[in-house]
Amino acid sequence: MIVAELKPFEEIMNMVRDREKLLILGCGSCVSVCMSGGEKQVELLSSALRMARNREGNQITVGEKTILRQCDPEFIQQIKDEFPHYDAVLSMACGAGVQGISEWMKNVEVLPAMNTRFIGLSDGQGKWVEICAACGDCVLGMTGGICPVTSCPKGILNGPCGGNKKGKCEVSPDVPCAWVRIYERMKELGKLDELKKEIGAKDWSKKQRPGRYTIKEKENEKVS
Amino acid sequence: MGDMTIVFVPPCQAACPINTDVRGYVSALARGDAEEAIRIIRRVNPLPSVCGRICTRLCETACRRAQVDAPVAIRALKRYASDHTKHLTFTQKPLNSYSERIAIIGSGPSGLTAAYDLALLGYKVTIFEAQHVLGGLLSEGIPRYRLPKEVVQREIEDILSLGIEVRTGVSLGKDFTIEGLLKDYQAVFIAVGSQKSLHPKCKGDNLPGILSGVEFLKQTDRGNTSFLGENVLVIGGGHTAVDAARTCVRLGCPDVTVVYRRTLDEMPAGREEVEQAELEGVKFIYLASPVEFAGEEKVQRVKFVRMELGEPDPSGRRRPVPVKDSEFDLEADAVILAIGYIPDVEDLKQDGLKVDRKGTIIVKDDTGITDMKGVFAAGDVVTGPMSVIEAMASGRKAAGAIHRYFRSIPDKWVDNRVSLRSLDEPLVSLIHKSERWQMPVLPVEKRKSTFDEVDLGYEREQACREALRCLNCGAGASVDSHCATCLNCLRICPFGIPVLGKETAEIDISQCQACGICAAECPASAIHLSNEGKDDLRQEVEQVMDRARQETPEIAVIGYYCRYHDPLGPPLDNDEIYWIARCCTGRLKESQIIYPFEIGADGVIVSLCLSDECRFRQGSYWVTEHMKRAGRVLKETGIGEDRLSVISDEEDFTGFREKLETMGINPLRKGKKVGA
Repeated sequence: MIVAELKPFEEIMNMVRDREKLLILGCGSCVSVCMSGGEKQVELLSSALRMARNREGNQITVGEKTILRQCDPEFIQQIKDEFPHYDAVLSMACGAGVQGISEWMKNVEVLPAMNTRFIGLSDGQGKWVEICAACGDCVLGMTGGICPVTSCPKGILNGPCGGNKKGKCEVSPDVPCAWVRIYERMKELGKLDELKKEIGAKDWSKKQRPGRYTIKEKENEKVS
Repeated sequence: MGDMTIVFVPPCQAACPINTDVRGYVSALARGDAEEAIRIIRRVNPLPSVCGRICTRLCETACRRAQVDAPVAIRALKRYASDHTKHLTFTQKPLNSYSERIAIIGSGPSGLTAAYDLALLGYKVTIFEAQHVLGGLLSEGIPRYRLPKEVVQREIEDILSLGIEVRTGVSLGKDFTIEGLLKDYQAVFIAVGSQKSLHPKCKGDNLPGILSGVEFLKQTDRGNTSFLGENVLVIGGGHTAVDAARTCVRLGCPDVTVVYRRTLDEMPAGREEVEQAELEGVKFIYLASPVEFAGEEKVQRVKFVRMELGEPDPSGRRRPVPVKDSEFDLEADAVILAIGYIPDVEDLKQDGLKVDRKGTIIVKDDTGITDMKGVFAAGDVVTGPMSVIEAMASGRKAAGAIHRYFRSIPDKWVDNRVSLRSLDEPLVSLIHKSERWQMPVLPVEKRKSTFDEVDLGYEREQACREALRCLNCGAGASVDSHCATCLNCLRICPFGIPVLGKETAEIDISQCQACGICAAECPASAIHLSNEGKDDLRQEVEQVMDRARQETPEIAVIGYYCRYHDPLGPPLDNDEIYWIARCCTGRLKESQIIYPFEIGADGVIVSLCLSDECRFRQGSYWVTEHMKRAGRVLKETGIGEDRLSVISDEEDFTGFREKLETMGINPLRKGKKVGA
């Protein structure tokens, strides 16, 4: 899941400074799950914006809407009639949603309310942790299901570096060493031997931006 | 029944023969709103003061609070609602006007309810009553120390005010016949009750000094109170037996003994009544049955045989069987028999109605249709002796049947109510215990010499606190299709009720405790509380801010408090605080905490509960969390996080007030009047 967090309020205020009519658009998928950009947060942000602008004597009209996904044009189309009533849309979706609206609604100005952080995993109530770097060349099959690319600050692929102290990373004593964790997991799985295999050089070309993924291309590949 | 829609209702409501919205009126009383409570009760019940005193309260037997400690004292709450709204008049107007005339024979609870329903539907109703006073056993039979006559008469007058005609002192068979009635009336409803006393089949049962319980109580109610003697034996275990015994005490009999053939557990009168009788000096002998009445010219002795409980009989109660050679004698100046009643149907038989072996009228089904066209029957005359509330329900069903008969409406009334299932065991242990409020009663000494009402009724505080014991079954949370399946509710519910369904979170309404914490926390606003609408709080805030604008205090502070923590009202009396109650402050969302500032409040406080007293275990934790988040927003927007505070006493508020003083008024109101 994509984890995003609300931008600092001051930044949002600056962004919308000159806007008089704003549509705050929540997203009902990932950002709802990580409790930062769903319907409840839309209500709260809109209340905050109104109050802050009132205080400045510069009133703002705020519309509130939440759609299931902002990363598909069909969902955006469903509310296209709303857009002309506003100066801008303040999207509470991840960067994909913001750009989706921008792409499909050419004449609508979209502003991001969120900072998109990472692909994450639930880490207990109200907590998420980055877990996948979307490197495009997954090695999890060789590392006991623990990603060295994401979990190791250096992203190294073959064993711990010299900075490992008592299982913790030199970057911070709060960060467990990814490779110590991989070692322990492989031991639990009885597959320590496999760690002797070299992962080899990683194909970083898969990470070349902008990434593209097409089902059709794959089918073509199979045929050829 | 195939495509019948099922309606899930709280167990109390499902158990109520007239489908009273018990949860609805109890929760109104929890808010201190007796007027709303009585309105809810009166929607289905034209005899609330009567039922508030003598209902057999099937609702309390079903109440799920009993799984935790003791059932909610629902009957006492109903009485509170009716006693404290006497000043209100409930004039209802018939919905229609039909030409058909209906004769109702008998004015007990069944006849009265049918008369009320039919008159309300728009029919012309005439009640025929053999006695000179209306009400059946309510007026003559149930002693006034349990049911004061003026209470009965007041409610009967309310019913009659719908335009119902009354003929008293006329009895079926003597003064009129069904056939005769059918000439003037297009339908006849027979609800003559079941008052013929059964006698034990033993020697000497016709000796003078042996009385029927109902007859004795009737005579007492009519003022014929002759002294029965020093020593009275009452035989039986129902309400009539205990009523007769307690009446004897009041008439000055020093030695009154009830003899019942089973044990206290099987006694239809109920434990509470027996306890009260014992306090008044009535003695109880269980597991004994009379075999012979003896005496010169009048009864002087009764021979009993000891009984023991054998195999269960068809009613499910264990059948008492005599113990060999266990006879014993008891002295008696008088004996009151209260072992059972059957309808007196001789005259009905003559009119051509079919009667079964038990002596009750045979009807087609529970809507009371007899095989005589236009003639309906219900209540005790059909079922044998039942409770007041069941008699009322039977009258209601018959009224419905009569209406359908006239208007040619084919479909029959079906009971589509399904009770929410009982609380799961692990949940029971998590629910806060709370003792049931005992009904205040008249001192025993005073009871022995007067017929004053024994139960005194709750005071406001007792009613409020007792009403708050209600678990609000079925008034909890439900998840709509906007659920993002974030599973936050699963992780935060203090009772562990939400589960991951096929696609969304699911909350079992039968187990949810309605704290509202999940709804406040749901990021998709997909959780709804059936006891609080989405905009309810917003509207309440607007209302109190309107008040503030009129009263123009120097500053206006919105105060939220928990009704469970402070049942009698706001925790602090202060002209500057505008209080709003919630059943748990843990359900307050950040946006709801902030909203008052948008419309001009200068501060918001939440009265903090002690966390170990929280009915919902974690309410105080969550309100503190939400306050912190709301504080952050206030800081960022420049309104000031210090305008928000959790307070636990007056001192806290003084401190908060001083802080507000230095901050000045809410910048959103710019020096103008409050909220402007």
